[in-house]
Amino acid sequence: MNDGERPAIADVSFGTLFLAFFRLGCTSFGGATGAWVYREMVQRRGWVDERLFLTDMALGQSMPGSNGLKMALLVGLRMKGGIGAFTAPFAMLIGPLVIILAIAAVYGRIANIPGVDAVLDGVAAAVVGLTLSSGISAVAQGTPEPAAIAIVALTVLAVGILGWPMLPVFLTLAPISIALAWMQARRQPRAP
Amino acid sequence: MRDGFSGTLLALFAVFAPLSLLSFGGGNATIADIAHQSVAVHHWTGDREFADLFALSRAAPGPGSMLCALIGWKAAGVPGAIVATVAFYLPASFVLFVVAKVWGRWRGSVWHQAVERGIAPIAAGLFLSGGLAVLRVTPAGLAAWIAAGLATAALLYWPKLHPMPLLIVSGAVFGLIDLLGVRL
Repeated sequence: MNDGERPAIADVSFGTLFLAFFRLGCTSFGGATGAWVYREMVQRRGWVDERLFLTDMALGQSMPGSNGLKMALLVGLRMKGGIGAFTAPFAMLIGPLVIILAIAAVYGRIANIPGVDAVLDGVAAAVVGLTLSSGISAVAQGTPEPAAIAIVALTVLAVGILGWPMLPVFLTLAPISIALAWMQARRQPRAP
Repeated sequence: MRDGFSGTLLALFAVFAPLSLLSFGGGNATIADIAHQSVAVHHWTGDREFADLFALSRAAPGPGSMLCALIGWKAAGVPGAIVATVAFYLPASFVLFVVAKVWGRWRGSVWHQAVERGIAPIAAGLFLSGGLAVLRVTPAGLAAWIAAGLATAALLYWPKLHPMPLLIVSGAVFGLIDLLGVRL
Protein backbone atom coordinates (compact mmCIF):
# COMPACT_ATOMS: atom_id res chain seq x y z
CA MET A 1 0.00 0.00 0.00
CA ASN A 2 2.87 2.43 0.55
CA ASP A 3 4.06 3.65 -2.81
CA GLY A 4 7.73 3.74 -1.94
CA GLU A 5 8.38 0.03 -1.64
CA ARG A 6 7.13 -1.43 -4.86
CA PRO A 7 6.20 0.25 -8.13
CA ALA A 8 2.46 0.11 -8.87
CA ILE A 9 3.17 -1.35 -12.31
CA ALA A 10 6.00 -3.79 -12.98
CA ASP A 11 8.33 -3.23 -15.91
CA VAL A 12 8.39 -6.45 -17.91
CA SER A 13 9.32 -7.08 -21.52
CA PHE A 14 6.74 -7.28 -24.26
CA GLY A 15 7.44 -10.97 -24.84
CA THR A 16 7.05 -11.76 -21.14
CA LEU A 17 3.68 -9.98 -21.14
CA PHE A 18 2.53 -11.92 -24.19
CA LEU A 19 3.63 -15.28 -22.78
CA ALA A 20 2.05 -14.62 -19.38
CA PHE A 21 -1.36 -13.86 -20.90
CA PHE A 22 -1.03 -16.71 -23.39
CA ARG A 23 -0.36 -19.15 -20.56
CA LEU A 24 -3.16 -17.67 -18.49
CA GLY A 25 -5.60 -18.11 -21.39
CA CYS A 26 -4.63 -21.74 -21.87
CA THR A 27 -5.01 -22.59 -18.16
CA SER A 28 -8.05 -20.53 -17.16
CA PHE A 29 -10.57 -23.35 -16.85
CA GLY A 30 -14.08 -22.94 -15.51
CA GLY A 31 -14.86 -19.42 -16.73
CA ALA A 32 -14.59 -16.33 -14.49
CA THR A 33 -11.51 -15.17 -16.41
CA GLY A 34 -11.61 -11.78 -14.64
CA ALA A 35 -10.79 -13.56 -11.39
CA TRP A 36 -8.04 -15.52 -13.16
CA VAL A 37 -6.42 -12.26 -14.32
CA TYR A 38 -6.54 -10.88 -10.76
CA ARG A 39 -5.07 -14.04 -9.27
CA GLU A 40 -2.23 -14.27 -11.78
CA MET A 41 -1.29 -10.64 -12.47
CA VAL A 42 -1.98 -9.04 -9.07
CA GLN A 43 -1.58 -11.76 -6.46
CA ARG A 44 0.89 -14.24 -7.94
CA ARG A 45 3.08 -12.08 -10.19
CA GLY A 46 2.51 -8.70 -8.52
CA TRP A 47 2.66 -6.86 -11.86
CA VAL A 48 -0.15 -4.45 -11.03
CA ASP A 49 -1.00 -3.34 -7.50
CA GLU A 50 -4.38 -4.01 -5.92
CA ARG A 51 -5.54 -0.41 -5.97
CA LEU A 52 -4.87 0.11 -9.66
CA PHE A 53 -6.59 -3.15 -10.47
CA LEU A 54 -9.61 -2.10 -8.42
CA THR A 55 -9.97 1.23 -10.25
CA ASP A 56 -9.60 -0.59 -13.56
CA MET A 57 -12.20 -3.09 -12.43
CA ALA A 58 -14.58 -0.18 -11.77
CA LEU A 59 -14.11 0.98 -15.35
CA GLY A 60 -14.31 -2.56 -16.75
CA GLN A 61 -17.50 -3.51 -14.91
CA SER A 62 -19.19 -0.35 -16.23
CA MET A 63 -18.58 -1.48 -19.82
CA PRO A 64 -19.88 -4.43 -21.83
CA GLY A 65 -17.70 -7.41 -22.77
CA SER A 66 -16.05 -10.50 -21.30
CA ASN A 67 -14.71 -9.62 -17.83
CA GLY A 68 -11.42 -11.46 -18.34
CA LEU A 69 -10.62 -9.81 -21.65
CA LYS A 70 -11.60 -6.38 -20.34
CA MET A 71 -9.20 -6.79 -17.43
CA ALA A 72 -6.49 -8.15 -19.76
CA LEU A 73 -6.94 -5.08 -21.98
CA LEU A 74 -6.73 -2.66 -19.04
CA VAL A 75 -3.72 -4.41 -17.47
CA GLY A 76 -2.03 -4.44 -20.89
CA LEU A 77 -2.81 -0.73 -21.31
CA ARG A 78 -1.28 0.07 -17.91
CA MET A 79 1.86 -1.94 -18.62
CA LYS A 80 2.62 -1.26 -22.28
CA GLY A 81 0.20 1.40 -23.52
CA GLY A 82 -1.93 0.94 -26.66
CA ILE A 83 0.08 -1.98 -28.01
CA GLY A 84 -0.26 -3.76 -24.67
CA ALA A 85 -4.01 -3.16 -24.70
CA PHE A 86 -4.16 -5.01 -28.01
CA THR A 87 -1.65 -7.73 -27.18
CA ALA A 88 -2.83 -8.92 -23.76
CA PRO A 89 -6.43 -9.86 -24.73
CA PHE A 90 -5.22 -11.29 -28.05
CA ALA A 91 -2.65 -13.48 -26.28
CA MET A 92 -5.28 -14.59 -23.82
CA LEU A 93 -7.81 -15.47 -26.50
CA ILE A 94 -5.73 -17.18 -29.18
CA GLY A 95 -4.77 -20.28 -27.17
CA PRO A 96 -8.30 -21.18 -26.03
CA LEU A 97 -9.61 -20.56 -29.57
CA VAL A 98 -7.21 -23.07 -31.08
CA ILE A 99 -7.79 -25.56 -28.24
CA ILE A 100 -11.57 -25.44 -28.41
CA LEU A 101 -11.64 -25.83 -32.19
CA ALA A 102 -9.25 -28.77 -31.95
CA ILE A 103 -11.43 -30.49 -29.35
CA ALA A 104 -14.57 -29.72 -31.34
CA ALA A 105 -13.04 -31.17 -34.50
CA VAL A 106 -11.95 -34.37 -32.76
CA TYR A 107 -14.87 -35.12 -30.48
CA GLY A 108 -17.78 -33.05 -31.65
CA ARG A 109 -19.64 -33.89 -28.48
CA ILE A 110 -18.63 -34.35 -24.90
CA ALA A 111 -22.00 -34.24 -23.14
CA ASN A 112 -22.69 -37.98 -23.31
CA ILE A 113 -19.63 -39.23 -21.46
CA PRO A 114 -20.80 -40.28 -17.96
CA GLY A 115 -19.56 -38.12 -15.12
CA VAL A 116 -18.34 -35.26 -17.33
CA ASP A 117 -21.14 -32.93 -16.29
CA ALA A 118 -20.46 -33.62 -12.62
CA VAL A 119 -16.71 -33.01 -13.04
CA LEU A 120 -17.44 -29.70 -14.79
CA ASP A 121 -19.83 -28.71 -11.98
CA GLY A 122 -17.04 -29.43 -9.49
CA VAL A 123 -14.56 -27.33 -11.48
CA ALA A 124 -17.11 -24.52 -11.75
CA ALA A 125 -17.71 -24.60 -7.98
CA ALA A 126 -13.96 -24.25 -7.27
CA VAL A 127 -13.81 -21.36 -9.75
CA VAL A 128 -16.60 -19.64 -7.79
CA GLY A 129 -14.11 -19.79 -4.93
CA LEU A 130 -11.59 -18.03 -7.19
CA THR A 131 -14.13 -15.28 -7.94
CA LEU A 132 -15.15 -14.83 -4.30
CA SER A 133 -11.59 -14.79 -2.96
CA SER A 134 -10.54 -12.26 -5.64
CA GLY A 135 -13.51 -10.02 -4.87
CA ILE A 136 -12.99 -10.24 -1.12
CA SER A 137 -9.29 -9.46 -1.19
CA ALA A 138 -9.83 -6.63 -3.70
CA VAL A 139 -12.37 -5.09 -1.31
CA ALA A 140 -10.15 -5.66 1.73
CA GLN A 141 -7.14 -4.01 0.06
CA GLY A 142 -8.90 -1.26 -1.83
CA THR A 143 -11.89 0.14 0.03
CA PRO A 144 -11.65 -0.08 3.80
CA GLU A 145 -14.18 2.76 4.49
CA PRO A 146 -17.47 1.64 6.09
CA ALA A 147 -19.56 3.45 3.46
CA ALA A 148 -17.81 1.54 0.66
CA ILE A 149 -18.27 -1.77 2.46
CA ALA A 150 -21.99 -1.00 2.77
CA ILE A 151 -22.19 -0.33 -0.99
CA VAL A 152 -20.44 -3.65 -1.70
CA ALA A 153 -22.90 -5.44 0.58
CA LEU A 154 -25.93 -3.75 -1.02
CA THR A 155 -24.72 -4.67 -4.51
CA VAL A 156 -24.13 -8.30 -3.53
CA LEU A 157 -27.57 -8.46 -1.88
CA ALA A 158 -29.41 -6.98 -4.87
CA VAL A 159 -27.60 -8.70 -7.75
CA GLY A 160 -25.91 -11.74 -6.23
CA ILE A 161 -28.57 -12.90 -3.76
CA LEU A 162 -31.90 -11.44 -4.92
CA GLY A 163 -30.92 -11.82 -8.58
CA TRP A 164 -32.05 -8.34 -9.67
CA PRO A 165 -30.81 -7.18 -13.11
CA MET A 166 -27.44 -5.47 -12.76
CA LEU A 167 -27.94 -2.39 -14.93
CA PRO A 168 -30.74 -0.73 -12.88
CA VAL A 169 -28.92 -1.61 -9.66
CA PHE A 170 -25.74 -0.06 -11.02
CA LEU A 171 -27.52 3.10 -12.17
CA THR A 172 -29.24 3.48 -8.78
CA LEU A 173 -26.21 2.87 -6.57
CA ALA A 174 -23.61 4.70 -8.68
CA PRO A 175 -24.79 8.29 -7.98
CA ILE A 176 -25.14 7.53 -4.24
CA SER A 177 -21.73 5.92 -4.02
CA ILE A 178 -20.02 8.64 -6.06
CA ALA A 179 -21.63 11.34 -3.86
CA LEU A 180 -20.35 9.55 -0.75
CA ALA A 181 -16.84 9.34 -2.21
CA TRP A 182 -17.02 13.02 -3.17
CA MET A 183 -18.01 14.06 0.34
CA GLN A 184 -15.25 11.95 1.80
CA ALA A 185 -12.66 13.45 -0.55
CA ARG A 186 -13.68 16.95 0.60
CA ARG A 187 -13.57 16.05 4.27
CA GLN A 188 -10.04 14.67 4.24
CA PRO A 189 -7.98 16.98 2.01
CA ARG A 190 -6.11 14.49 -0.12
CA ALA A 191 -4.68 11.04 0.21
CA PRO A 192 -0.92 11.01 -0.35
CA MET B 1 -22.52 -21.29 -52.98
CA ARG B 2 -19.97 -18.57 -52.46
CA ASP B 3 -22.79 -16.12 -51.80
CA GLY B 4 -24.34 -18.44 -49.23
CA PHE B 5 -21.01 -18.79 -47.43
CA SER B 6 -20.21 -15.09 -47.21
CA GLY B 7 -23.85 -14.52 -46.32
CA THR B 8 -23.41 -16.82 -43.32
CA LEU B 9 -20.25 -14.99 -42.26
CA LEU B 10 -22.10 -11.68 -42.47
CA ALA B 11 -24.99 -13.10 -40.45
CA LEU B 12 -22.56 -14.34 -37.78
CA PHE B 13 -21.07 -10.87 -37.57
CA ALA B 14 -24.51 -9.25 -37.45
CA VAL B 15 -25.57 -11.52 -34.57
CA PHE B 16 -22.45 -11.39 -32.40
CA ALA B 17 -21.33 -7.76 -32.79
CA PRO B 18 -24.49 -6.25 -31.20
CA LEU B 19 -24.43 -8.88 -28.44
CA SER B 20 -20.85 -7.80 -27.73
CA LEU B 21 -22.02 -4.27 -26.98
CA LEU B 22 -24.90 -5.49 -24.82
CA SER B 23 -22.87 -7.92 -22.71
CA PHE B 24 -22.92 -5.88 -19.51
CA GLY B 25 -21.85 -8.02 -16.59
CA GLY B 26 -19.64 -10.27 -18.72
CA GLY B 27 -19.97 -12.61 -21.67
CA ASN B 28 -22.10 -15.11 -19.77
CA ALA B 29 -24.93 -12.59 -19.62
CA THR B 30 -25.53 -13.14 -23.34
CA ILE B 31 -25.74 -16.95 -23.47
CA ALA B 32 -29.55 -17.01 -23.59
CA ASP B 33 -29.51 -14.60 -26.53
CA ILE B 34 -26.81 -16.61 -28.30
CA ALA B 35 -28.96 -19.73 -27.91
CA HIS B 36 -32.05 -18.00 -29.28
CA GLN B 37 -30.23 -16.56 -32.29
CA SER B 38 -28.31 -19.68 -33.27
CA VAL B 39 -31.06 -22.24 -32.70
CA ALA B 40 -34.41 -20.55 -33.36
CA VAL B 41 -33.50 -17.70 -35.70
CA HIS B 42 -30.59 -18.92 -37.86
CA HIS B 43 -30.69 -22.70 -37.41
CA TRP B 44 -26.90 -22.92 -37.13
CA THR B 45 -27.32 -25.69 -34.55
CA GLY B 46 -30.14 -27.86 -33.24
CA ASP B 47 -31.30 -27.73 -29.62
CA ARG B 48 -29.36 -30.80 -28.64
CA GLU B 49 -26.28 -29.74 -30.54
CA PHE B 50 -26.32 -26.36 -28.81
CA ALA B 51 -26.32 -28.10 -25.43
CA ASP B 52 -23.31 -30.17 -26.57
CA LEU B 53 -21.43 -27.08 -27.72
CA PHE B 54 -22.23 -25.36 -24.44
CA ALA B 55 -20.82 -28.33 -22.49
CA LEU B 56 -17.73 -28.26 -24.70
CA SER B 57 -17.17 -24.53 -24.10
CA ARG B 58 -17.39 -25.15 -20.35
CA ALA B 59 -14.77 -27.92 -20.54
CA ALA B 60 -12.20 -25.85 -22.45
CA PRO B 61 -10.07 -23.04 -20.99
CA GLY B 62 -10.68 -19.37 -21.72
CA PRO B 63 -13.72 -17.11 -21.49
CA GLY B 64 -17.02 -19.01 -21.17
CA SER B 65 -18.29 -17.07 -24.14
CA MET B 66 -15.88 -19.02 -26.38
CA LEU B 67 -19.21 -20.64 -27.11
CA CYS B 68 -19.58 -18.13 -29.93
CA ALA B 69 -16.44 -19.55 -31.61
CA LEU B 70 -18.07 -22.99 -31.58
CA ILE B 71 -21.32 -21.65 -33.04
CA GLY B 72 -19.32 -19.92 -35.77
CA TRP B 73 -17.44 -23.16 -36.44
CA LYS B 74 -20.71 -25.11 -36.79
CA ALA B 75 -22.16 -22.47 -39.11
CA ALA B 76 -19.16 -21.86 -41.39
CA GLY B 77 -16.06 -23.81 -40.32
CA VAL B 78 -12.84 -22.15 -39.16
CA PRO B 79 -13.59 -18.82 -40.95
CA GLY B 80 -16.94 -18.80 -39.15
CA ALA B 81 -15.24 -19.39 -35.81
CA ILE B 82 -12.85 -16.49 -36.42
CA VAL B 83 -15.59 -14.12 -37.61
CA ALA B 84 -17.84 -14.95 -34.62
CA THR B 85 -14.98 -14.51 -32.14
CA VAL B 86 -13.81 -11.21 -33.63
CA ALA B 87 -17.41 -9.95 -33.82
CA PHE B 88 -18.04 -10.86 -30.19
CA TYR B 89 -14.85 -9.40 -28.71
CA LEU B 90 -13.72 -6.55 -30.94
CA PRO B 91 -16.57 -4.01 -30.61
CA ALA B 92 -16.68 -4.19 -26.80
CA SER B 93 -12.86 -4.08 -26.61
CA PHE B 94 -12.73 -1.07 -28.91
CA VAL B 95 -15.30 0.82 -26.85
CA LEU B 96 -13.45 -0.02 -23.64
CA PHE B 97 -10.12 1.09 -25.13
CA VAL B 98 -11.48 4.46 -26.24
CA VAL B 99 -13.25 5.07 -22.92
CA ALA B 100 -10.12 4.06 -20.98
CA LYS B 101 -7.95 6.48 -23.00
CA VAL B 102 -10.39 9.39 -22.64
CA TRP B 103 -11.05 8.61 -18.97
CA GLY B 104 -7.33 8.41 -18.22
CA ARG B 105 -6.87 11.96 -19.49
CA TRP B 106 -8.68 13.38 -16.45
CA ARG B 107 -6.75 11.31 -13.95
CA GLY B 108 -5.82 13.33 -10.89
CA SER B 109 -8.81 15.70 -10.78
CA VAL B 110 -11.05 15.52 -7.71
CA TRP B 111 -14.24 14.52 -9.51
CA HIS B 112 -12.41 11.82 -11.46
CA GLN B 113 -11.20 10.37 -8.18
CA ALA B 114 -14.70 10.54 -6.68
CA VAL B 115 -16.22 8.67 -9.65
CA GLU B 116 -13.53 5.99 -9.57
CA ARG B 117 -13.75 5.54 -5.81
CA GLY B 118 -17.53 5.57 -5.91
CA ILE B 119 -17.83 2.95 -8.61
CA ALA B 120 -15.10 0.67 -7.23
CA PRO B 121 -17.27 -0.88 -4.45
CA ILE B 122 -20.16 -1.46 -6.90
CA ALA B 123 -17.75 -3.12 -9.33
CA ALA B 124 -16.43 -5.34 -6.55
CA GLY B 125 -20.00 -6.20 -5.55
CA LEU B 126 -20.91 -7.13 -9.13
CA PHE B 127 -17.77 -9.23 -9.35
CA LEU B 128 -18.77 -11.16 -6.20
CA SER B 129 -22.34 -11.46 -7.49
CA GLY B 130 -21.05 -13.17 -10.63
CA GLY B 131 -19.75 -15.99 -8.43
CA LEU B 132 -22.96 -16.25 -6.43
CA ALA B 133 -25.02 -16.35 -9.63
CA VAL B 134 -23.17 -19.51 -10.66
CA LEU B 135 -24.02 -21.12 -7.31
CA ARG B 136 -27.69 -20.13 -7.58
CA VAL B 137 -28.18 -22.08 -10.82
CA THR B 138 -25.80 -25.03 -10.37
CA PRO B 139 -27.43 -28.48 -10.42
CA ALA B 140 -24.86 -29.65 -7.84
CA GLY B 141 -26.71 -27.89 -4.98
CA LEU B 142 -25.21 -27.89 -1.49
CA ALA B 143 -22.01 -29.65 -2.61
CA ALA B 144 -21.19 -26.70 -4.88
CA TRP B 145 -21.63 -24.21 -2.00
CA ILE B 146 -19.31 -26.30 0.20
CA ALA B 147 -16.66 -26.66 -2.52
CA ALA B 148 -16.85 -22.94 -3.33
CA GLY B 149 -16.52 -22.06 0.36
CA LEU B 150 -13.48 -24.30 0.84
CA ALA B 151 -11.81 -22.98 -2.33
CA THR B 152 -12.45 -19.37 -1.25
CA ALA B 153 -10.85 -20.02 2.14
CA ALA B 154 -7.82 -21.80 0.65
CA LEU B 155 -7.20 -19.07 -1.94
CA LEU B 156 -7.48 -16.31 0.67
CA TYR B 157 -5.18 -18.16 3.05
CA TRP B 158 -2.52 -18.89 0.41
CA PRO B 159 -2.43 -15.85 -1.91
CA LYS B 160 0.28 -17.35 -4.14
CA LEU B 161 -1.39 -20.73 -4.61
CA HIS B 162 -2.20 -21.59 -8.23
CA PRO B 163 -5.94 -22.39 -8.46
CA MET B 164 -5.42 -25.43 -10.69
CA PRO B 165 -4.95 -28.07 -7.93
CA LEU B 166 -8.22 -26.93 -6.33
CA LEU B 167 -10.05 -27.25 -9.65
CA ILE B 168 -8.69 -30.74 -10.18
CA VAL B 169 -9.55 -31.95 -6.67
CA SER B 170 -13.04 -30.44 -6.77
CA GLY B 171 -13.76 -31.85 -10.24
CA ALA B 172 -12.50 -35.29 -9.23
CA VAL B 173 -14.57 -35.36 -6.03
CA PHE B 174 -17.75 -34.30 -7.87
CA GLY B 175 -17.12 -36.86 -10.61
CA LEU B 176 -16.58 -39.60 -8.05
CA ILE B 177 -19.73 -38.69 -6.12
CA ASP B 178 -21.69 -38.80 -9.39
CA LEU B 179 -20.26 -42.17 -10.46
CA LEU B 180 -21.00 -43.68 -7.04
CA GLY B 181 -24.55 -42.40 -7.34
CA VAL B 182 -24.52 -40.44 -4.09
CA ARG B 183 -27.05 -37.56 -3.96
CA LEU B 184 -26.31 -34.62 -1.72
